[in-house]
Amino acid sequence: MSSHDTVSRWKRWRFHLSALMLILPIAFMPQYFHRVALFSGDLGLGQRVIGEQTVGPWSVRLAEFEERPPELDGGAGYMKTFSLALCDGCESSIRAMYLRVGKPRSLRTAGAIFFGSPYRQTASVPIPDGTTPDAMLWLTAEGWDGSVHHASIPLATASPTTAGWLRKRGGR
Amino acid sequence: MISASILYGRLSRSLAFSRRHARIGATALLLCAAGVAQAHNPMADCKSVEGENIQCTGGFSDGSGAPGVTLDVISYDEEILVPGKLDENSRITFARPDKDFYVLFDAGPGHVVEIDQSEIPQ
Repeated sequence: MSSHDTVSRWKRWRFHLSALMLILPIAFMPQYFHRVALFSGDLGLGQRVIGEQTVGPWSVRLAEFEERPPELDGGAGYMKTFSLALCDGCESSIRAMYLRVGKPRSLRTAGAIFFGSPYRQTASVPIPDGTTPDAMLWLTAEGWDGSVHHASIPLATASPTTAGWLRKRGGR
Repeated sequence: MISASILYGRLSRSLAFSRRHARIGATALLLCAAGVAQAHNPMADCKSVEGENIQCTGGFSDGSGAPGVTLDVISYDEEILVPGKLDENSRITFARPDKDFYVLFDAGPGHVVEIDQSEIPQ
């Protein structure tokens, strides 16, 4: 085989490789646009709406942002993201919403704070080591009037995926 | 004169070549940097040191430290036993309280880490 043949074969392959590099991203387009819609809010609050939760005089619509197990975030441990929307008309009364695993001792320990607009806020909740599938999630609402209200919801109801993941881990 | 123009031709070709490589390199770098966005969640860890002392370290999951951030030692009845700030090494050392307590690394509302005394081996 002459060196001319080798060069021309390489050039042909280089052309096919370039075409492949252009076509390859198209395969990931549906997944990409799904995530764009999820993050922009076009798909609603999240992938799985948990439902309406009453917290003191207010209510919020809670959702599991992504229907998948918690993700490891380095030394901070496993995190699970939830989203919520404040009730109509109570946007100006609620100062902050918090969520955590287990009952909070005080407002300072109320857990992860929700951030975003009143119509769609998200919070990454730490899932501590040793959390069991029957653990409770505690939602805390802090009002501008200084009042603090709590509500609890079983983790298995809020995120069956997380409860299943915990069951598999066996309480580690 | 002829040799000067040949030299100029070679130089400009070589410059164009290195510019193209620089452009490819920059594009590759940008593509790699696109996935580097990291979360910034608080983290803290406490351990027993030198007999009855406890040393706690705070920081964030993106690897940044937390010098000057509040770390309080609080009793179960919500009395602040040790009001502390992390030093320049993001650490604090205090004597193990006589009362039941928990440690609260507090980087602001909703950015806290709570460590119960039972999680700090003696």
